[in-house]
Amino acid sequence: MIRAFGWGEVLFIVWALRWTLALSAIAFIGGGICGLAVALARTSTSRALRLVTTGFIRLFQGTPLLMQLFLVYFGMSIFGLGIDPWAAAAVALSLHAAAFLAEIWRGCIEAIPPGQNEAATALGLTWGSRMRYVILPQAMKIAVAPTVGFLVQLVKGTSLAAIIGFTELTRSGQIISNATFQPFLVFSLVAGLYFVICWPLSFLASRLERRLARATAR
Amino acid sequence: MSAADDRSEQPAGSAAPLIAVRMQGVSKWFGSFQALNKIDLTVRRGEKIVVCGPSGSGKSTLIRCINQLEPIQAGSIVVDDIDLGAGGKNVQRVRREVGMVFQSFNLFPHMTVMDNCILAPMKVRNAPKDEAIATARKYLARVHIPEQADKYPAQLSGGQQQRVAIARALCMNPKIMLFDEPTSALDPEMVQEVLDTMIDLAEEGMTMVCVTHEMGFARRVADRVVFMDHGEIVEVAPPEEFFERPSHERARLFLGQIQRTHKPVPE
Ligand SMILES: Nc1ncnc2c1ncn2[C@@H]1O[C@H](COP(=O)(O)OP(=O)(O)OP(=O)(O)O)[C@@H](O)[C@H]1O
Ligand SMILES: [Mg+2]
Repeated sequence: MIRAFGWGEVLFIVWALRWTLALSAIAFIGGGICGLAVALARTSTSRALRLVTTGFIRLFQGTPLLMQLFLVYFGMSIFGLGIDPWAAAAVALSLHAAAFLAEIWRGCIEAIPPGQNEAATALGLTWGSRMRYVILPQAMKIAVAPTVGFLVQLVKGTSLAAIIGFTELTRSGQIISNATFQPFLVFSLVAGLYFVICWPLSFLASRLERRLARATAR
Repeated sequence: MSAADDRSEQPAGSAAPLIAVRMQGVSKWFGSFQALNKIDLTVRRGEKIVVCGPSGSGKSTLIRCINQLEPIQAGSIVVDDIDLGAGGKNVQRVRREVGMVFQSFNLFPHMTVMDNCILAPMKVRNAPKDEAIATARKYLARVHIPEQADKYPAQLSGGQQQRVAIARALCMNPKIMLFDEPTSALDPEMVQEVLDTMIDLAEEGMTMVCVTHEMGFARRVADRVVFMDHGEIVEVAPPEEFFERPSHERARLFLGQIQRTHKPVPE
């Protein structure tokens, strides 16, 4: 039976956008928290911490996101955690985001002149205080633009979760396409919806970048 | 009794150490490169030491070891009776007592002058905010920039920034001040205002170790001049003696070079 591609179908797809946004948000928050921890460990003086976190980053940057999704998805069922596309997608995308954000933020932390850390150390500030009051506030300013840029990648990356059966925007497109045999129309709509989310973010990222370039040129 | 007096003159009976810094057999390597070779140096309380020597001779490394910005591989350093090598919280305790001023100021650019000055007293000494602000105002007045408290470092001249850096260090009430070429990054017309601040500090009785090639300052303030070369202390002498009759050939060569490149500073 072939369904027509009507308003009901359009609404079904648009409504699935909420899962794309929810998954993006979870991955961004989870990845942000882990990513900060990894970035701090990666820039620490402990060799062991640096090695472990460098390995983590290399692993996630050197394998396709789809494989990471597969491994977490099937890994969870092997370890008796059941088959849950939601949890698997959230965990895999969070780890993925953690690795990339950690690498972006490491660069921002290392861009702060070493004299800042030395002056704070000489004043007797502990590592925690140095990070919190001296290094991170300065690193954050330069981190904003590339972080928003990565968020765009992450939103688009959530589409791969469709393959493990998580019904977000892309998966709902597949469902409607299979029912209506109108793949071009359906996926045009899906792509358009991604664009509506991502384009303003890209625009924001490049504006922030220009603003920072002007601020540092002064 | 002025504030300077109660810093340098402890009440009778208190066990204020007469030795501010004692370095014994200190050696330091960067990888396979030896930056300090068996350094022995004792700084008495209230003493002013000027360290000079050619570029790469280890001057910065020497003073950075005193507050353990650089760890050492051999020897011992005792600061204000606290043994840096003994572990525990000793490094932290020493850093609280030792102020440091850098060539490149290293003010925190995202904070106002006032916030630069009160951060460490509040976070390290747990001083209440109003007390920290009062202390900061006192020291900003002493370095002659009380009116700049609400500005950001980038809005100040180099000389003003360096004076803020001195005030920021003083806000921790340090017993010892370290200076690493504090005037080398400054435009010539701003050198004297920073040197004057340092001279005031010296006259108040502060214990000071200054890496500088400002010979006018050394003659006026230093009790002893330490001349370094290739990671070693080559000569230690009072300034008149060091400048008039250096006993080592390397020191003579060095003095000849800086007299050619540095104009004498008017006193
Ligand atoms: N972090 C480091 N890693 C490797 N080598 C270093 C490091 N810091 C300093 N050195 C080396 O140690 C030697 C002493 O350096 P130091 O900065 O103490 O010299 P300096 O006397 O202060 O010279 P300058 O007058 O140029 O400031 C130099 O040869 C320098 O290259
Ligand atoms: Mg130096």
